[in-house]
Amino acid sequence: MKRRVVITACSAITPIGYGKQAITDSLLHGVSGVRPLKDDGLLTDRIHSRVFGTVDYPIAYDFTRSQRKTMGPVAYYACQVAKDVLSASGLSAEYISSGRLGVAFGSTHGSPTVQRDIYRTFFQRMEEGFSSIGAVDYLRSMVHTTAVNITRMFGITGRVIASSTACTTSSQAIGFGYEMIKFGMQDAMICGGADEYDTTTVAVFDNLLACSVAYNDRPELTPRPFDRKRDGLVVGEGGGAVLLEEYEAARKRGAPILAEVIGFSCNNNGGDLILPNLDGITATLRLALADAGIAADEVDSISAHATATKMGDIIESQAIEAVYGSKPFVTGLKSYTGHCMGTCGVIELIMNLYMMEEGFLAPTLNLDEVDPRCGAVRHTPEVIRIHAGIAAVQNFAFGGVNTCLLVKNGREVIA
Amino acid sequence: MTRDELQEKILTILVQDFEFKDPKLDDNLRDDHGFDSIDAIELLSKIEIIFGFSLTREEKEKAMEIRTITDILDYLEKIQQGRGK
Repeated sequence: MKRRVVITACSAITPIGYGKQAITDSLLHGVSGVRPLKDDGLLTDRIHSRVFGTVDYPIAYDFTRSQRKTMGPVAYYACQVAKDVLSASGLSAEYISSGRLGVAFGSTHGSPTVQRDIYRTFFQRMEEGFSSIGAVDYLRSMVHTTAVNITRMFGITGRVIASSTACTTSSQAIGFGYEMIKFGMQDAMICGGADEYDTTTVAVFDNLLACSVAYNDRPELTPRPFDRKRDGLVVGEGGGAVLLEEYEAARKRGAPILAEVIGFSCNNNGGDLILPNLDGITATLRLALADAGIAADEVDSISAHATATKMGDIIESQAIEAVYGSKPFVTGLKSYTGHCMGTCGVIELIMNLYMMEEGFLAPTLNLDEVDPRCGAVRHTPEVIRIHAGIAAVQNFAFGGVNTCLLVKNGREVIA
Repeated sequence: MTRDELQEKILTILVQDFEFKDPKLDDNLRDDHGFDSIDAIELLSKIEIIFGFSLTREEKEKAMEIRTITDILDYLEKIQQGRGK
């Protein structure tokens, strides 16, 4: 059994806005969501990189206490975007709880804020002669907290996939959700990811000399994917969700079809857990095309992983050139948001859906002078008006995990 | 602590932290306020802070029989008496 899978609703909370209007405006006007790193009273002083892709606007959550009690900050993002897509979908409560709808959702490591609070509380009270960890601390911090807070909030009884593979967390979630429906195991899936504001992640990448440090006083000028003066990634936060449905059922109920997921690939480099690997990445891009059954020249735009690390961008450029040549436009959307870690894949996919719908492609921000070693592909230097029929969304993670999603413009799916 | 003092502290916690609306002493915690086993564990950790000592496993297990605010107060008084306070 192989069924077609379409995206019928989406929502994203990102450093450049919440919802289609805000995000699209930022992409069209070159607005960066990178801000100075907030002082966390713990690690900030020891971190060289002082920038962060920040959600710096208020979000009007209206979760009840019963819902909130098992949620850390990461689950707030997850449940809010899940709520948005379910609300937009018009699916009945009966269907949502039928077992035909599942959830594929993840985060890099649950809620580091809650994990820190656990240790703070525990050790503080140890000195007072007694200690007690909150009953819900594990539920709020565990690695699958986003997925199961979504199931709890909406009474979802279908399959749960809680991917947690760093930067490919949400692209895996979407890919695995796509496969669930494609092969007939579920009829619909809420897929995505979230990651909260977290200085621990900054410290980790900072320690590996992978974070941007040269633009601490001008946050909006970093990250700089593919640029000669790039100096590393910028960690970010956010959440994103897409609703995947089986094509025929979606058509039958008159759901808006934003795009069709036509291909997905996921592989591993089979060796080093950190260094980007040309063979592994190139294979991923080819596997996605094979899954979709399309030729490379049918792809119009590529949303590159493009973290703005020195080697990562070069290897990715070489892989794109090897598979696609210089035909499709390439853009690095982390230049707007920073690297939102586990949620980057779904956020970047949603940005691509918005751009497809509105008929444009956003340029890579801060790409002032292309590094010649990244120069063999067709970069996007300014806003381009384009009808992208098929877009590729690429993501690669620590651990050597690579993914590629291929999506077809919703207008072409309907036609 | 007197029963009245305990009652005031518990009602404050139930209203502020557990968002109870207009709690009555003999309300059923689960049926009237949606208070579940996770909430009970959470409340026990707040009780430990009120008393300034850790509850034993046995004491905590006994708390699972609680159904009303009156039961909570009875439970707290017994713990105080047991610790000789």
